[in-house]
Amino acid sequence: MSNNNYSHAVLSGSSKLIIDTDPGIDDSMAIFMAFQTPEVEILGLTTIFGNVATEDATHNALLLCEIAGRPDIPVAEGSPEPLKGGKPRVADFAHGSDGLGNINLPPPKAKKSDKSASEFLVDKVTEYPGEVSILALGPLTNLALAIKRDSSFASKVKNIVVLGGAFFAMGNVNPSAEANIYGDPEAADVVLTSGANIVVVGINITTQVKLADADLLELRQSEGKYAQLLSEMCKFYRDFHVKSDGVYGIFLHDPVSFVAVVRPDLFTYKKGVVRVETQGICVGHTLMDQGLKKWNTSNPWTGYSPVSVAWTVNVDEMLNYIKKVLMKP
Amino acid sequence: MAMEPKKIIIDTDPGIDDAMAIFLAFKSPEVEVIGLTTIYGNVYTTLATKNALHLLEVAGRTDIPVAEGSHVTLTKGTKLQIADFVHGADGLGNQNFPPPKGKPIEQSAAAFLVEQAILYPGKITVVALGPLTNIALAIQLDPAFAKNIGQIVLLGGAFSVNGNVNPATEANIFGDPDAADVVFISGADVVAVGINVTHQAVMTDADRDKLAQSNGKFAQYLCQILEVYFSYHHDAYATRGVYLHDPTALLVAINPSLFTYTEGVVRVQTSGITKGLTLFDNRQKRFAEITEWTDKPMVKVAVTVDAKAVVKLIMDRLMDS
Repeated sequence: MSNNNYSHAVLSGSSKLIIDTDPGIDDSMAIFMAFQTPEVEILGLTTIFGNVATEDATHNALLLCEIAGRPDIPVAEGSPEPLKGGKPRVADFAHGSDGLGNINLPPPKAKKSDKSASEFLVDKVTEYPGEVSILALGPLTNLALAIKRDSSFASKVKNIVVLGGAFFAMGNVNPSAEANIYGDPEAADVVLTSGANIVVVGINITTQVKLADADLLELRQSEGKYAQLLSEMCKFYRDFHVKSDGVYGIFLHDPVSFVAVVRPDLFTYKKGVVRVETQGICVGHTLMDQGLKKWNTSNPWTGYSPVSVAWTVNVDEMLNYIKKVLMKP
Repeated sequence: MAMEPKKIIIDTDPGIDDAMAIFLAFKSPEVEVIGLTTIYGNVYTTLATKNALHLLEVAGRTDIPVAEGSHVTLTKGTKLQIADFVHGADGLGNQNFPPPKGKPIEQSAAAFLVEQAILYPGKITVVALGPLTNIALAIQLDPAFAKNIGQIVLLGGAFSVNGNVNPATEANIFGDPDAADVVFISGADVVAVGINVTHQAVMTDADRDKLAQSNGKFAQYLCQILEVYFSYHHDAYATRGVYLHDPTALLVAINPSLFTYTEGVVRVQTSGITKGLTLFDNRQKRFAEITEWTDKPMVKVAVTVDAKAVVKLIMDRLMDS
């Protein structure tokens, strides 16, 4: 049943990519990996709350581009709050109060784009219809706003890789919900039912891929262009994992999702309609109809376009690939 | 050195697979059925009571009391989803059986449950095969019920799999999500058997032929009513047979070693598009914030089943009658 129904098994040629991000320690890893991947042309970063507040995410995104020697890359600031409003939940206990492991980096010199994130997203997919991939590493507010802003957004975007959800597995905010989806459940439901070509990578997949303490040591001792900086950042993140999961190492949520853009062949997928609960104790729960039963009556999943849900991951090859890119000089 | 049989009360909405479970209980020396309580689900409560009395007459066990249960949900809801498309309009395969002669007792199901639990503290197992309204009412009627009752084995939920009413929810829990949540966090010794387990126990077309060829009284009766249930399954699922939900759940009371279990906290979603979702916290992760699962009592959830042994046991006992 699990079939590799992704359009291109392995990325060929150059691919235009926008990363929607809330950096975030593992976001930083994914962004640096993108900079170290020549086949990927980064059109810009858009920012969102999640690991930090949106304003801090913008600050960090600018900083990461500068560190990578790419201050030319536009950073468009996203929504400061979820669709329904209110103060967003911020995971400073996982990423430090600055989102980058409290390592006291200097402020960036570059300024953010004049455009909002959703404006930037709409402009780019309109400029390059069918060519732009979006890697969404935080709550999906900006993408939902882009869909609301332009009704043809879903058909113009090449694909969207979403890091989010927990499929038939426990969440990480609470037993029912994963953090990115929980951050804006209404937005997640808009995006996942939008009809766009979507691949969802949930924590049921990403928590299978860990950098253990030994791998982190290997990273620190490597010649990797960003290895030292990432090693410093990862200290805080690693200690959080010991506390919350008893894991001596870190989960590679965002890097694994980036790999879904460039090496989709390292996963298998199942197709099905995914809806997000927006009420009650299970708010933020992602529920996929696997299509195993013919329903007697219509239900809230009826009539929506299916998305591809990452079902299995080749853990060994994935880990090798991520380590190789992170250790690349 | 025969062990004293375990006293059980079956809370039921008969229902074709309910009939199988009730007959299975009568053929199982490990248990003694001390009463049936009725609930809506496969049929409305009034019909469930009629069918329960009818099944006792078929089995020649009119000595067993039937206590009628609630006609509405715990929150007084009257819009009940009745699964007549699975079990037939009469709940028993559209056979137009004559009405039963017996009557239910005066006591309500909840009052009967409370009374029996006080009479035999720690000794009674309730096997709940429908929505959990009666059990929740018993808990509300008597705060000591959760402590007095020996065990509650419930057929309900879909743990880490899709539901059978819709992708999120299983029929019994969907029938009364509020009641289910009350039962799961009541502190009673609860064992939940979800469709993730019962979908592994399949009676095939060939098994049905075997039933038909046996001389067992219950086998013969069941073959009469099974047609509707088989044709629903053929239509709704890509499976050649029927799921043995209720008899499988009953076997937890008879021979718990046919299953393995995990422990944790179960909560039920009571609103939204996933209303009726059963969500299990395995207590392995430490969350940064207090959650709706924090500090709630643990229950057991069946995770694996020796399906071959389960089907064989059900078949053998139903044919030997």
